[in-house]
Amino acid sequence: MSHHLPVMIFLLPFLTAVCMPMAGLKYRHGCRSLALMAVVVMCIAACVNLTVVLDHGESRYAFGGWSISTSLPAPPLGIEWVNDTLASVMLVALSGLSVVCLLYGGPLSTALPASRVVLYYTLILMLISGLTGLVFAGDIFNVFVFLEVAALSAYALVGISGGKALVAAFRYLILGTLGASFYLLGVVFFYASTGTLNMADLARQLADHPELLSSKAVLGGSIFMFIGLGIKMALFPLHGWLPDAYTQAPEAISPMLAALMTKVALYAWVRILFWVLGATASFGQVHLLTLLGTLGIFATVIGALLALTQQNVKRMFAYGGISHVGLILIGVSQGNQTGFAGSMFYLINDAVMQAGLFFIAGIAIYHFQARTVNDMANLRGGSPLMIGTIIVLAMSMIGIPPTGGFFGKWHIILGALEARNYMAVGAVIVATLLTMAYFQRLFVNMFHQRRVASSTSSVELPLSLRASVGITSAGVLILGLCSDPMIKLFRDAAASVGL
Amino acid sequence: MFEHLVTGLQRPNFIAFVVLFLWGFFIMVTHPNLVKKLIGMYLVQTSVILLLVTFSAKKEATVPIVTAADMDRSATQLNPADYTNPLPHVLTLTAIVVQVATLGVSLALVTAIYQQRDSLNEDEILKSMQ
Repeated sequence: MSHHLPVMIFLLPFLTAVCMPMAGLKYRHGCRSLALMAVVVMCIAACVNLTVVLDHGESRYAFGGWSISTSLPAPPLGIEWVNDTLASVMLVALSGLSVVCLLYGGPLSTALPASRVVLYYTLILMLISGLTGLVFAGDIFNVFVFLEVAALSAYALVGISGGKALVAAFRYLILGTLGASFYLLGVVFFYASTGTLNMADLARQLADHPELLSSKAVLGGSIFMFIGLGIKMALFPLHGWLPDAYTQAPEAISPMLAALMTKVALYAWVRILFWVLGATASFGQVHLLTLLGTLGIFATVIGALLALTQQNVKRMFAYGGISHVGLILIGVSQGNQTGFAGSMFYLINDAVMQAGLFFIAGIAIYHFQARTVNDMANLRGGSPLMIGTIIVLAMSMIGIPPTGGFFGKWHIILGALEARNYMAVGAVIVATLLTMAYFQRLFVNMFHQRRVASSTSSVELPLSLRASVGITSAGVLILGLCSDPMIKLFRDAAASVGL
Repeated sequence: MFEHLVTGLQRPNFIAFVVLFLWGFFIMVTHPNLVKKLIGMYLVQTSVILLLVTFSAKKEATVPIVTAADMDRSATQLNPADYTNPLPHVLTLTAIVVQVATLGVSLALVTAIYQQRDSLNEDEILKSMQ
């Protein structure tokens, strides 16, 4: 029974999404509870899955009983899903954030046209199931398919309420599809040179034939794959679609996208990097990890600089996310366990923080009419819970001890020191200072300015908004408290790929 | 240089792929018209599919179907080189489904933009948004 758990976790949101339009035809008000129920059950199943994996080690799921990478000597013909510690932890984070985002999205989805509410829940469940597939996929073509399932729902979600968001959604679609085409091109190159698509089998072939790794086909293939996933994860020079899409997207949707889309694409790249190419992959004279580390340094510093110059709060947080993608890439590319564990921990943290920040930005727009940094003074009418959440999230974004952000950054810096990569250490510290600077701007406007609009005195937020805001801030603190076992878990994952 | 040219000409599919991919990419980046951008996007996707399906071809091979005449031969007697590789075709089918879905969503978005802004020119749309 527990063997089939990964597939059942995937099917839960997927089947609910398929049934949603039918259910919504008659009971439009039931949609929210149906979606929420599916996601809560999925979250519980994901926790059960995590305990199963921790007890029994990783398992691989063979669809339809076809041979997979573990059924040697038969060649892997079928689709394989990998359910290891990294995937199961990611899945718990993904499903937990989905619950919180749906809790938050409920009251705000009333801003959407009434006929679109059913579609909103359908698409958001599709997005969740696509991301779930992406987390488990053990086959590079499967990654492409799930990437597109998630991305198509995301395009539609960005444009769901019409208006200015349509143009942003169109731009997102054009760039996202270009990224997917690049990724597919990389898959074609890999298939042409090795004749397999299975990640474990690819890794085996590349290890058995070292000349393959230096061949132009694999070199080109991995570059194309990286460009494709780089667009999806909004790595610095390829981030053009992200700020517009996240800023223009309806408030009920942007936390979900900000928290999950780019992070899961980054996770897919980590899978391909370490589970297929291997940590020691180098192209000619250039070590692959060095290349990625350099890109990460640019992304984290320039992303934070761009965030500092923004007036729109949502846009500022979007650039903060771009900066953090670079930060995670720096940790991954240090080539040691500490850096890898730190950045995987930071990835989960960043997902929670981004969700929380976009919750705040959404509430600020919806309840306090505050869109720009200067309007933030309006938020003083908010409850202590909300102000407290902003402070906790800011602490975590900057990296102040009791929060999860600190422990992630700490291990990334430790990893960079271990690798004697002082440029990376410098970049992380500069990015941290810049993050502090843009939150300083926010807080100066919030607390030191005379209140702009006195009409927005105390606003009573709906319970589910308060709950989602509270859960994210508590989540950041809890992640900080249990950073030790999680880092240990990721260290073991890193050890299993020979770091 | 000359040898490269000769080997390249022996693989017209690869040349077609490169031309189509870059052409589509160029249209996507430079054309202000949204529908033409989509045409460029479609060209890029199709060129990748062309490349994918190219790898299934083998010289003097037939369709990968075991006929009644082959049934009395055991599996080891069948020569894989006699049949084209069916896997790229399957992948192509999946990729085409993805492509069609993307085109559907993108056309819906373009229609909505056109209804709202009364223009398909990106520059005009951006101007009207300010």
